[in-house]
Amino acid sequence: MERQEIVDEIIEVLRTVRTVDPSRLENVTEETDFLTDMNMPSTELINIAAKVEQKFDVEFEDDDIDSLGSTVKDVVDLIIKAKARGVS
Amino acid sequence: MTEETDEQLLNRITNGNFVGLNPGRVMLHGPTKLLIDAYYWHSPNKGIVAGYAPTERDVEDHFDVFRGVDQIEAFALASIVSCCAFLECRKLNCLPDVLKENFIPAFISVGQVNFHYYIELGDRFISIANIKSYKWRQMVCDGRIYKVPKDLDLDAYFSDFTEERLLNYDISKDFKLVAELFDITGRAIKKEVFKQI
Repeated sequence: MERQEIVDEIIEVLRTVRTVDPSRLENVTEETDFLTDMNMPSTELINIAAKVEQKFDVEFEDDDIDSLGSTVKDVVDLIIKAKARGVS
Repeated sequence: MTEETDEQLLNRITNGNFVGLNPGRVMLHGPTKLLIDAYYWHSPNKGIVAGYAPTERDVEDHFDVFRGVDQIEAFALASIVSCCAFLECRKLNCLPDVLKENFIPAFISVGQVNFHYYIELGDRFISIANIKSYKWRQMVCDGRIYKVPKDLDLDAYFSDFTEERLLNYDISKDFKLVAELFDITGRAIKKEVFKQI
């Protein structure tokens, strides 16, 4: 799966999150920061991670979430890492 | 309340719940400002009922009234801290002391809180908390605080309490509603990560 495909899927996930303003989804890139660019409450990151986990059929570890940053790139990297871990 | 050996506590964590345990064995802070002195009911994946009677220190310089922010803190300690500590200890098969070495219990969000009444010196209150979600060491609880009727034996009263009654706040009308709390959120964060924040 290409990175841009993952970003597109993440945007679809974000459309289902109540606290996300749909107008902020127009120009999302990997550099977009959930907290500063999308004005999202930090507690929402856990909900997004849970939705992403389900959407991509991957499993995140406690430590993954501890070190998760707040950009789309951080989530893309985590999905790729979790998928690679699941492949073994 | 008798002090348990480490072996007894670990057995309780593996097979039981926190009812009857001294909260001082669970809290990662203290011994002052524990703001919780008894567990009356506990279902590890559903919720908890815990209690506290404010001391003179708690109400000092405040008209003998227990502060609203301390109510929120007491509820958080009863709910997200206690319940999260239990589940993490069960998962890691360890005692709370081990969590203390590795984690900071971070209070990260308060949703809405509605105050209805007050607690003063000489009162006892209970926090009734239900777990809304728990994942990746982050827990969200809703619940209520009630002032306890005088001379009520809370151990006996909650001995046959159920998850259904917890979710419905099904308790005697003699309990006085003090506060409703929503989306009280906490997370156990690894110490090394916490220091980088």
